Amino acid sequence: MRVPILRQRASIAAIALYLFSAATAPAAAPSIDATIEPQQIEVGESARLTILTSGSGTLSVTLPVVSGLEFRVVGQSHQIQIINGARIESTSTIVRVTAEEAGVFTIPGLTPSSPPLVLRVNPSRGGGSSSLLGNGASPGPPPFVPGGSNANGIHLTPDGSAFVHLEIPKHEIYVGESVPIEIQVGMRDGFVASINSLPKLNSGDFTLNNLSRQPEHAAKAIDGKAFTVYTWRSILAAVKPGTYSLTFEAPVTVRVRTRPQRDSMLDDLLGDPFLQNIFGTTVPKNVTVTSPAAAIKVLALPTQGRPPDFGGAVGTFKISADLSSSKNTAGDPLTLRMHVNGAGNFDRVESPMLRGDGQWKTYEPKATFNPADPIGYRGEKVFEQPLIAQQPGTHTVPALDFSYFDPGTRRYETAHSSPLSVTVSPAADSAGNEPPPPANAGASADESHGGLRPDHAVTEARVDSLIPPYFRPRFVGLSSVLALLFGGGWISLRRRELNARDTKRQRELARTQLIRTLLERMAAASSAGNAAAFLSTARSALQQALSARWEVEPEQIAEDLVDARLEGADKDDIRQIFTLADEANYSGDDLKAADFERWTQIVSRQFIEETAS
Amino acid sequence: MSRRAPWGVILFALTVVGSSSSHAAQAPASAQAQAQAQPPAPAPAPAPAPAGYSAPALYNLANAYARAGKPGLAVLNYERAKLLEPNDPDIDANLRHVREAVGLPPESRNRFERMAEIASPRILAWVGVLGLLIAGVSALARWQYPRHRRKLHAATLVGLSLVAVTIANGAALWPITHEAVVVTQAAPVRVSPVPIEEPLFVLPEASIVRMMGEHDEFVLIRTEAGRTGWAQRSSLAPVVPKRIASDGVSTSHN
Repeated sequence: MRVPILRQRASIAAIALYLFSAATAPAAAPSIDATIEPQQIEVGESARLTILTSGSGTLSVTLPVVSGLEFRVVGQSHQIQIINGARIESTSTIVRVTAEEAGVFTIPGLTPSSPPLVLRVNPSRGGGSSSLLGNGASPGPPPFVPGGSNANGIHLTPDGSAFVHLEIPKHEIYVGESVPIEIQVGMRDGFVASINSLPKLNSGDFTLNNLSRQPEHAAKAIDGKAFTVYTWRSILAAVKPGTYSLTFEAPVTVRVRTRPQRDSMLDDLLGDPFLQNIFGTTVPKNVTVTSPAAAIKVLALPTQGRPPDFGGAVGTFKISADLSSSKNTAGDPLTLRMHVNGAGNFDRVESPMLRGDGQWKTYEPKATFNPADPIGYRGEKVFEQPLIAQQPGTHTVPALDFSYFDPGTRRYETAHSSPLSVTVSPAADSAGNEPPPPANAGASADESHGGLRPDHAVTEARVDSLIPPYFRPRFVGLSSVLALLFGGGWISLRRRELNARDTKRQRELARTQLIRTLLERMAAASSAGNAAAFLSTARSALQQALSARWEVEPEQIAEDLVDARLEGADKDDIRQIFTLADEANYSGDDLKAADFERWTQIVSRQFIEETAS
Repeated sequence: MSRRAPWGVILFALTVVGSSSSHAAQAPASAQAQAQAQPPAPAPAPAPAPAGYSAPALYNLANAYARAGKPGLAVLNYERAKLLEPNDPDIDANLRHVREAVGLPPESRNRFERMAEIASPRILAWVGVLGLLIAGVSALARWQYPRHRRKLHAATLVGLSLVAVTIANGAALWPITHEAVVVTQAAPVRVSPVPIEEPLFVLPEASIVRMMGEHDEFVLIRTEAGRTGWAQRSSLAPVVPKRIASDGVSTSHN
């Protein structure tokens, strides 16, 4: 894994140096002088190649190309001297030469007349934290942060650019015990380019399990410097007793400063690694950062008091058990589950579950682990075991036991579950559940496979697919068409019914309005003493009211229909109104005020009854 | 429309459905005698010569595989036979026997699954259509015959109940259509669909798993215990194939 930070890849390119001489004053021919310091470095370190040109005229210089060395111009200075009226120009170009591999390199002369330069590159002294920079052969970068342990117990590399820190909750553990640990790799911002792989355990006496694939990262200030700390979590377990030293290492790529301390005043003044990179004062270098050794004492598990069913589980656990059903049919399987919750080495948590006996037929259990944290230190392991009750009746599934070693109490513990009760009813076809004897099969019972029932008669009825009809397009289409047809019909009929109800209601409203108008006319005729108009209007009002009640046309309501459909006082009164209405048109008799009021009440009563109905 | 018309429609529908159903489910009595005269297959028989599936043919094929010591293929064909004849006790008994012989527990079905599988899916499918017809016709007839509103309402409920039974059967069968049987001696299950990775666990032959996805030659499976992983397609055979293979095993998945 690489953690990309600011990564600067210097490219080797030919560059031209153009030197200009004074055009006016007479001067000597241009000359080039090149020196390299130091002449002996290590792989990854850099030397300084100084190219000094002097004299007049234009001179083009091409940087040499040497396999295994990287050339990069890092600075240039121009000087003009006037001696006795003569003007002398000189240009000094600083080129950084970084060794990529060991060997003795010959840098060809920059001009045909220049002598070649020799640079000796020694192999790197090793990847430990102590070898990271700061050696006397290198140009001598000063430590950014003093090495050694700080107040947080963190050991920085001598150059202060990185650290590996191990967080272990305890230093005395038991064989097989799982201990959650944290591995922190800190990288000073700007000085470490990448982490090149996962942290590695430098010990064969421990195992590292479930190392998190993606580290957590956070910014942290250490001794006033900004660091990015990557944290991996894992489970450490010891394989044998003894006292051991535990270290972790992480390969990283750091940026190494190449200029000597005396030339790095500007770097230290700037401080900012970004600015230092701009000025080209660092080169990448692969190093391995190692954590300080941590002493761990590994104890053997005691033999005294070890339960016979102890399977190597070390931690703190609780168990519970349940059944898939409390009622069952003989011959049908039940599932017995045992839940082991807690923290510890779940990979060693095993259980034979229930053993078969005359009461229960058992099968091999299956286990599933559900971690509660990313490293699987805490969680729940569920064992599932199919059981079959041999006989009907009320049975008890005995309590399950689970033994483990508790490092907290330093002794073996045995957890127990509660017994479970289940009622097993006889199978409906208990005789049919058992394979019949071959003699009863009649056809093809196989003696060597006596458990198998005989073959069946092969019929010609076949289906073209095993896909159930519900999931076939033809069936789905047919059902959908039927459902749509019926749904559409139902909606259509429902809408028609609602419309009919609306029409009837509208008609009743119109009739009510008409009756009300007629009653008002009756009142007007009564006030005017116009008996003929009053009785005629009263008859019309009664016809409207009764037509709604009898569901006939108003014009059809006459005395004979009143006689046929009405009874009691209403019949006589209404019939009398009809008679008087006919007579009033010819006789011209007047009515008394009391009669007007009486007939009005009779008509109103019919209207009220109609409205109520 | 006369007042007896809706009952006529229902009777007509019943006739149509009944004729379709009986056509699909017919079983000539003469075939029984033919089968009794037929000797047991000593080795796994090839797929039935006539195109299509039948429960007896699948059952016999499964028996042949069981006798030949191929429990995976035997369980596969028993499962397929069960799809067509879910209430055949012989299929259940032999399936249980074969699974027990390889150390696998019998299949457990809950009450809903048992109730939903009261009949063949083919029959229940037509029962559903019949229920739809009854419910639809009686619901429509309520407007035409308001005096028989209560009877028609009851008929609607009966029809809807039949439809519900069909839907329940479909729901119970849906998981089976995504099941597969391990037909090789062992099926390594990996955390990702690449063959170079160490297996998480190994499924024994005749195990039944649920297929949840596919990638190239791998199938994402879930075991009865709830464990998931990728198994090679060649190790599995789906219970419900899309087409018939010559050896009774289809490699096509749904």
